[in-house]
Amino acid sequence: MSGGVSRTGMKITTILVTMVVAVVAVILCCCILIFLSLYRSAMIRTAMTTGTQAVSQVSNTVANYMRDMNQAMSMVEWSMSESDSQQASLMGAFLIFRPDVVAVTSYTADGELVDCWSNGRSPLEDIYMNLSFNKELAEESEEGYISAPHVETIFEGYYPWVVTMTAPIATENNERWVSLDLSFSSISAYINNVSIGQRGYCFLMDSSGNIVYHPQQQLIYAGLKSEDTVTLMRKADGTYVEDTVIYSLNSVAESGWRVVGVSFVDELVNKNVAEMIRLSLIMGVFLLLTAILTSWLLSRLLSRPLRGLADAMESFETNADNFTYRSVGGTREVQELSGSFRHMVLHIQQLMTTVREEEINLRKTELKALQAQINPHFLYNTLDSIAWMCEQGKTGDAVNMVHALARLFRISISRGHELIPIELEIQHAESYLQIQKYRYKNQFSYRFEVDPQCVGYYCNKITLQPIIENAINHGLRLMVDEGLIVVRVFREGDDIIFRVTDNGVGMSPEQVKAVMERGPDSGTGIGIRNVNDRLKIYFGKEYGLTIESEVDVGTTVEIRMPMVKEGDGGEK
Amino acid sequence: MKNKLLALTAALCLALSGCAVTESYTPTREVAFIAKSTNTEFWLSAFAGAEAAASEYNVNLTITGPEIEEDYETQNEMVRQAVENGAEAIVFSAVDFENNAAAIDEAAEKGVKIVAIDSSVDSQAVETYIGTDNFAAGQMSVHAALERTEGELKIGIVNYDIQSANGQQRQRGAVDVIENDPRTELVRVINTLAEAGEAKNDTVELLKQYPEINVLIAFNEPTSVGAAKAVEELGLSEKVFLVGFDSNVETVDGLQTGSVDALIVQNPYAMGYLGVESAYKILSGQGGSLEKVVDTSTKVVDRENLFTVDSQRALFAFDGFQTMAYCTKNGE
Repeated sequence: MSGGVSRTGMKITTILVTMVVAVVAVILCCCILIFLSLYRSAMIRTAMTTGTQAVSQVSNTVANYMRDMNQAMSMVEWSMSESDSQQASLMGAFLIFRPDVVAVTSYTADGELVDCWSNGRSPLEDIYMNLSFNKELAEESEEGYISAPHVETIFEGYYPWVVTMTAPIATENNERWVSLDLSFSSISAYINNVSIGQRGYCFLMDSSGNIVYHPQQQLIYAGLKSEDTVTLMRKADGTYVEDTVIYSLNSVAESGWRVVGVSFVDELVNKNVAEMIRLSLIMGVFLLLTAILTSWLLSRLLSRPLRGLADAMESFETNADNFTYRSVGGTREVQELSGSFRHMVLHIQQLMTTVREEEINLRKTELKALQAQINPHFLYNTLDSIAWMCEQGKTGDAVNMVHALARLFRISISRGHELIPIELEIQHAESYLQIQKYRYKNQFSYRFEVDPQCVGYYCNKITLQPIIENAINHGLRLMVDEGLIVVRVFREGDDIIFRVTDNGVGMSPEQVKAVMERGPDSGTGIGIRNVNDRLKIYFGKEYGLTIESEVDVGTTVEIRMPMVKEGDGGEK
Repeated sequence: MKNKLLALTAALCLALSGCAVTESYTPTREVAFIAKSTNTEFWLSAFAGAEAAASEYNVNLTITGPEIEEDYETQNEMVRQAVENGAEAIVFSAVDFENNAAAIDEAAEKGVKIVAIDSSVDSQAVETYIGTDNFAAGQMSVHAALERTEGELKIGIVNYDIQSANGQQRQRGAVDVIENDPRTELVRVINTLAEAGEAKNDTVELLKQYPEINVLIAFNEPTSVGAAKAVEELGLSEKVFLVGFDSNVETVDGLQTGSVDALIVQNPYAMGYLGVESAYKILSGQGGSLEKVVDTSTKVVDRENLFTVDSQRALFAFDGFQTMAYCTKNGE
């Protein structure tokens, strides 16, 4: 995460969102698939149950109807055994009671129509074809039979669809058979109303697969619809799910009839399943969106403080000195991290300060050690000069020399302070020049031009002496004529300038360079380089010392330092 | 992890709540059925078929028709009324091939889909025609007489309105056979009203005027009933071979007594059913699969096969009581 290094890893948000979405999507898909398959089988089961229930209900009703018919038949049989007059009134009452009975007819053993009772109708004299009695069938079945639905054909202008129930009777007359023609209305009305789902329906078929009644009978007759009764006929009672249709079969008690319920998978199952798929998809999308949102929020919760921490680290990296720690909020882990970082930052900054201070202290100690050193040659030469003066009896000069030497040392020591008032520094320089002037037997003269405004400010001690020493050694000592050293102190803007000018032999650029780099080797033991270094350490890079020199013309050394009052900017 | 659990629970909750949602809504289609007439058994059977299809396809069906089969103006008015009432499709049987065309075109221009049944109309808007192949039915009527008789046939035709497309087609079919068969001779064609009483009177006139006629062909239900009555009244059941159209109790009675000798039975139930079904298919965008012409079956019934299972089914509407109920409902 360091600045400048290209970021190849993925963002935490991307990873988190992708992972959560992927996991949610997979789980969701599995759930939806499992749920849908369960739902579908549940729907099919429900549809099967519905079909079975509807069919068993219909079959019960039809069975009741059959029982009814049987009862009606036994009533007819009973009334047949009565006398003719009784019979007529009984039949009349019976027909009024049972409007669904279209006609009651009786037949001889040869199948001749004997009697016909019908509510307000009389049969044709010349019946073209009577579908209400089938002699072969009647003879075949001992107990009688129930016919397939047919049209009533014994009346004029009246052709209702009926089912005929034929039974043998025993009377004194020659009547052998009685037939009951029942209109199908009550059963058909009932079956018409049965619906399994919206489009499902029930129909009745007999044991040989003929449709007895179908709510869409007319459609079947018109050839617009067909039922696969041949296949259905072979099946046992129960419910069967086919590709598009669910068949439920149930036998009607006491008859060969069977009720078939037809319902549509499309309508009862597929429609619901489709609806459920639609819902599931909507739900899935909704959930995915929620997952994306949640994971995004979560990752933001995680990554934002991390990002903040990373940014803080980056800015710490680029600028460790001026970095101020601001705590980063977030989860506890991030807070802990942030705390550790704070700890680290503080520690590093502390270390950095310590290192810098130690470096400066080391330098200062070094410098102080140097300042404390007095070049033994200088001391020896000076003392030798004083001794010589005493021998010569120049006691006044000797006293002056001793005073100058004493002042030089006192200022040099100056109770260990690094910064001293400029006034003292000037005195120090002057003492040094006095001593040197005696020693060099007035080979040169010197002059101080000090701006009185400046004397109150402070400067590093032993700043001027090394420069003056350099002027004497490299400029004046080799001169034949009398030399001159001018020391000027003045203000320039907010800075104070010390300028030491001599009119000596001057230095070549190589010599200037050598002087600027030379270590402590002469005089008070502090070289020009040291002066420069000290200025820079104490006041900064913009301050320091510059040398301008021209061979045979002279040298000017300029020192620039800020205006410093006692105490400020001083001892660091 | 928490997230996942949450998602899972939410999924299950929603899934469970989804069970309670009821099935989607299927739009009810508005279809108008405009017949030639509302009185004959032929049309009652067609209406029954139409009603069956309507309940099967969730169609809101409105059935109307003029009282007499010649009233094309009333029919045009009914077309306009149906469009006004918001019918999306009209199942139409035209009284008049030409004079109904404008009204139908007008309705079609308003986006109403047109399905013709039984008798078509002269309009490009008709998407499909469902009905008898009338030319073939006409031919069939003459063949029925030819097959069941011997000797010369002097044929009288009792047709209804001359403007009616199907009547004319049947007549052309019949004439086509008559012209090509040496045994037959067309004596006279009369156009009468499609109403039993008028038809009877006109037929009696015809038979009196042309006593040589020994074959009568009537091209729809009322004219057949009328012709049967005329033959019976004149006591010509033996002499005149009557070929009628469609099923009516009186003509079925006539078949048994001998006044009617053969019936060309159409399939009006199928026409009604398929008409409404086609309208529904067109409205629900499945119109592409429809044939331009759908021929519903036609059957010849005579005394021999009168009560076979097939003939019973063709002749007698199953739900007599339902048709009655329907009659009173649309009692105009």
